[in-house]
Amino acid sequence: MMRPVRNYLFFLWRCARNAFNGDWRYYTWMGVLSVFCLLGINAYARQFAHGLMTTGMSDEVSWGVYIANFTFLVGVAAAAVMMVIPVYVYNNEELHDLVIFGELLAVAAILMCLAFVTVDLGRPDRFWHLIPGIGQFNFPASMLSWDVLVLNGYLVLNLHICGYLLYSRYQGRKPSKWFYIPFVFVAIFWAVSIHTVTAFLYVGLGGRPFWNSAIVGPRFLASAFTAGPALIILALQIIRRVTDYHITDRALLTLRSIVQVSMLINVFLLANEVFKEFYSGNLHVASSKYLFIGLHGYHALVPWIWTAIGFNLTAMVLLVLPVSRSLRWLNVTCVLSITGIWIEKGMGLVVPGFIPTPLGEMIEYNPSLNETLICFGIWSFGLLCYTIFLRMAVPILQGRLVAPGVTPLASAHAKS
Amino acid sequence: MNDKPRSSVVLLALALVFCALALAFGLRVWGKPRILPPNPLVDVQFITPNTIRTSYVQMIRLKADLSDFDCYGCHEKNKPPTLRFDTNQNLIVPQEHSDVVMNHGRHGRNNNCFNCHNEKNLLLLQTRDGRELKLEECPPLCGSCHGPTYRDWEAGAHGRVSGYWDKTAGEVRKAICVDCHNPHSPRIPTRKPAPAPNPLRPAGRQVTHED
Amino acid sequence: MNANQPNANAKVPMEAGLSRRNFLRNSAVFASGLAALAASLAPLRELEDFPSMDQFLQKYYKELTPEEMAKVLKRIEDEVERQYSLRPHVRDLKPLAGVEYVYALNLTRCIGCRKCVHACVAENNQSRTPEIQYIRVLRLPHGSLDLEKAEHNYNPEAVPEKGYFYMPVQCQQCKNPPCVKVCPVHATWQEPDGITVIDYNWCIGCRYCEAACPYWARRFNFAQPSLPKERLNLDMSYLGNRPRARGVMEKCHFCLQRTRAGRYPACVEVCPVGARKFGNILDPNSEVAYILHNKRVFIQLKEEMGTSPRFFYYFDV
Repeated sequence: MMRPVRNYLFFLWRCARNAFNGDWRYYTWMGVLSVFCLLGINAYARQFAHGLMTTGMSDEVSWGVYIANFTFLVGVAAAAVMMVIPVYVYNNEELHDLVIFGELLAVAAILMCLAFVTVDLGRPDRFWHLIPGIGQFNFPASMLSWDVLVLNGYLVLNLHICGYLLYSRYQGRKPSKWFYIPFVFVAIFWAVSIHTVTAFLYVGLGGRPFWNSAIVGPRFLASAFTAGPALIILALQIIRRVTDYHITDRALLTLRSIVQVSMLINVFLLANEVFKEFYSGNLHVASSKYLFIGLHGYHALVPWIWTAIGFNLTAMVLLVLPVSRSLRWLNVTCVLSITGIWIEKGMGLVVPGFIPTPLGEMIEYNPSLNETLICFGIWSFGLLCYTIFLRMAVPILQGRLVAPGVTPLASAHAKS
Repeated sequence: MNDKPRSSVVLLALALVFCALALAFGLRVWGKPRILPPNPLVDVQFITPNTIRTSYVQMIRLKADLSDFDCYGCHEKNKPPTLRFDTNQNLIVPQEHSDVVMNHGRHGRNNNCFNCHNEKNLLLLQTRDGRELKLEECPPLCGSCHGPTYRDWEAGAHGRVSGYWDKTAGEVRKAICVDCHNPHSPRIPTRKPAPAPNPLRPAGRQVTHED
Repeated sequence: MNANQPNANAKVPMEAGLSRRNFLRNSAVFASGLAALAASLAPLRELEDFPSMDQFLQKYYKELTPEEMAKVLKRIEDEVERQYSLRPHVRDLKPLAGVEYVYALNLTRCIGCRKCVHACVAENNQSRTPEIQYIRVLRLPHGSLDLEKAEHNYNPEAVPEKGYFYMPVQCQQCKNPPCVKVCPVHATWQEPDGITVIDYNWCIGCRYCEAACPYWARRFNFAQPSLPKERLNLDMSYLGNRPRARGVMEKCHFCLQRTRAGRYPACVEVCPVGARKFGNILDPNSEVAYILHNKRVFIQLKEEMGTSPRFFYYFDV
């Protein structure tokens, strides 16, 4: 009984040793990330000691960049499933092992989401009030309680799938279908649900007409399935560059077609939203006016949203044209999409919901330095986690990290 | 391998950066939290539940100087005072009562003292149907013209009601008309409001980097 | 390390053997990193109110036995005394039976003096810096209830101003409260007498309720509240006006330390023109029952939200 546990601990120890060893480029990357993490921890300690007045939030705009980043990252996590569907539903072998990279990204993204929510809480020391059974869990009435359940469930699901597949490979054993295929199919539905539940957080608030619209849910999914695979395209190319893991261009182009369709749907839904808000001319359009054209002399978000729309439209055009089949243009398109959608989902969704306030007041929002450092810190932490996960996963998949005394399984992706 | 020395350079640079950060954190080089300028306490007049004016009733309760209400200290009994009007039918207020500004009703409609005061007994008020009321019992008099308001007042919907909503728990104090309205110039005077709110992030102010 | 490892040309050095120089080098980086990590927590030295074990483990309000509640109340009295050198009297007032509170506000009479705002602040021990005010008085132009036309910061020489009317807004104690629906930990709920209350020791500060409220009635403590000792109201209640800590929500609770003892809320008492009316709607002889039966025009703010507020704005003329 103790032996499997000892073997597993030894496996973790070897992964940890791996994380601390690398070449100078690796040390530079991890070093920069660590520095930002430290700055973030310092900033959060300041926020913990002094309260949320160290942020730029106020009673008028009570959610800011923390929740904006949280929303974006839930989408990234959900998009990992976009690789799972072609592989397991359509039997695309090309993407088979790459699914693990997507799911590891999902794990890193969920960890970032949990971090963002924790730093946003006014009393994080009271987190135990959320634990069902021990605290007072307002399920099913509160959408936040749903979010707690589905996000943690998704994390456990992905940890299991990746962990099981990688550990089996490490032990030189073929993974048993029953231990992961059902979970994979559950994960497909679960991924859609995490982002829908997050959308419902906003949609369910009748007092905020900017959010109380049926299109928010579909828009979330469309933008998530654009930005997520775009991130994965970039991540896979980086993996290809810094390791000798073999990734075909065809895999990247399969992901490109997912981004293409999702971006078209995303832009179409945007057009729907704009028409609905502005055509009828009723009074509920105040927040949209503030966002797109400014209201009562306040226009801080107007340049941001038009930049985002510009990026998204350019990306859409590039995606539709064959020029984006070339990797250089594909990368440009991916960067444009990710940035455009990050702005749209963050500043373009969370902040305008609060401006004007339900009593008509115009108070704008600017993140403070402290808030920004915490955001950078959490993003760096997420990238740190993802890098460490990849440092484990790539050698295992290539058959170069195996348990003692085991012959590695044949792999299509080791360097030939 | 030839990137081993480069690794060492990078790692040692990193160690230096970490030490510098540790120093910066310990010495609190940046990020001192914003000290909010203390908001001034509001003037006590804005939290005192007083009525708009101190009426005769309240003066009785406070045992204040009631000599102003001793009409027969100056007037002769059984001699109703004569009222004088100018050419525009406006009342000329005698200079002994110069503190009274007649502004009850537009266009001077209610400018006859004896519409309310009893000329035969200046210590009492009178209604049109001949009822005599003490000064502190004025509501039926006011209500004889201001019917809807009087009905609302009787139910507690007009004017100030203070104390206990639960009459079994304590007493209710209902203000009478003259506790708020000057009977000669009943319109509630305007006043300076309490200061506007002082939110954490006022409109038009940018958050600075020190925040 | 492991005889089965192919290495030589691998781009990623796999568990390469450690020479002593590398070991020292790595340890130096590791140690400096740990030092930086420890130093990064330096701001925690400025933390003044780390929760005690009692505070951390305190049970949910509805689960406290009377003995536990008595202990909690005493603990709160100790905390306030420690902070302000004045000992308050903190009670846990239960809702009165057969009572449902309703508030009626006469928009013909309100002159916009904001005395209600400040009486509320004084009665309920609200933070002065940063400023928390449960009541916000809006100045609206004649003829419109479009809140976008509202002015919050009017400060003329004299109120009321010609051409405007004034509408104070505070928690509407809705029958169908969105804030109660969205709270993930049940920190806010509606009591049988109609007041929506908050257990300040249970709230986790996620501010979802603040986003959900259509009337902008809820306030968050972004910093440690600062209260003037000389204006501290020592007659406190657990769910009402005891001083809050940073990181929790608060809002108008109809002065339950007064109303559940049968008295009028502070805003009703202080209003110089009697524009505010409060009472038990289940009592046919109350002012509010009279108003709702007899006034022809009264409105609930944002009625289309379906919140069913217990706050009615009415007009005389």
